[in-house]
Amino acid sequence: MSDPLKNILKELIVTTLKLEGVSAADLSDDEPLIGSGLNLDSIDALELVVTLEKRFGIKISSSEESRQALASIAHLAEFIRARADPARLPA
Amino acid sequence: MTTAPRNPGPSWGFQFLARADRILPEVIFRPLCALGTAVAVVGMPVQRAHSRAYLRALTGREPTWREVFRHFLAFEEFLVLRLRVANGQPHRGDLAPDASGFHALLASGEPALLGTFHLGHSDLTGFLLGRQEHRRVFMVRQRVGNSHDTEVLGEQFGEWVRFIWVNEASNLLFALKDAVASGGSVALKCDRLEFSAKTAAFEFLGRKRLFPFTIYHLATIFRLPVVLSVGVPAAPGHSTVHSSRLFVPDGGEKAANLARAHAHFQEFLTRIESMLRADPYLWFNFTPLNPPAP
Repeated sequence: MSDPLKNILKELIVTTLKLEGVSAADLSDDEPLIGSGLNLDSIDALELVVTLEKRFGIKISSSEESRQALASIAHLAEFIRARADPARLPA
Repeated sequence: MTTAPRNPGPSWGFQFLARADRILPEVIFRPLCALGTAVAVVGMPVQRAHSRAYLRALTGREPTWREVFRHFLAFEEFLVLRLRVANGQPHRGDLAPDASGFHALLASGEPALLGTFHLGHSDLTGFLLGRQEHRRVFMVRQRVGNSHDTEVLGEQFGEWVRFIWVNEASNLLFALKDAVASGGSVALKCDRLEFSAKTAAFEFLGRKRLFPFTIYHLATIFRLPVVLSVGVPAAPGHSTVHSSRLFVPDGGEKAANLARAHAHFQEFLTRIESMLRADPYLWFNFTPLNPPAP
């Protein structure tokens, strides 16, 4: 059964970064988000971080933390679950 | 081992200039500076080659030694000015009537992203904005081999100006994020490509060349306006600040915002080129000229 948070994150990544020719379904849970086929750079990562902070009320305060969080969709979901207000997470 | 990037002049040059400026009368100090500049022209072949390449692109012909010397001398004179301002000499930045973006920014009181260039007195505009207008400005700077003068200036204007050194690129963007979150304005140089995650091609000196475009991406991410500005020498004790109009990202599509941003940057770059054609020695990049776009 698919994880609703991971699905939300995939959708968020595709819409925030306007990834051309990529749909949420194309993103695998374990593929690295930075330095992979998505070709995201540091500004894309920053944009994603700002969007995630607003959406989930979390704080990512260093590049090291963002590297850990954005290691993959699975890592990101885990990171957000550990820090976000449960009310902001999908049931 | 890599060599730290640097401006023309030896690492001890600032301290030497500072001491000489304190103890020597102007009538001796000036010729000594010119002599030092001549030594720099001869002794710094890499910066000399970059100066030549720039002057060649601007004028369409091989520059003379005299022109290269004047280019170096203009930079040296600016260093002396920075030194004196750092030591408390009064200096003002006066907005030119065409500085519409800056006028609008000051009227709004809002923070902004301030794009500037290694041109003329531009290096002082962030300091002057901070002190004259009581704005908190975070300046993004690359720490070069002889950037001691910048640090002294920072101490002089410390109440209003903070530096974000880009040499530690890994945390640069997060430092910018924190600066924006604190409500300050952020000043970034928009002519050198180092550490610029985003670039775009613009018409400059006869061909399409790559320039940093990160400032506009940051503007769309943080929803902050952008003003580009340069400071040029005016009457003694004064610089004139020219600026672009205000670029304000709207809530629309990112691509549309970036297209408007491209036109905004090109418009100001064209003005800069006109200024350089009127005074070629204002360009203080002794680094490779912006590369042609692929």
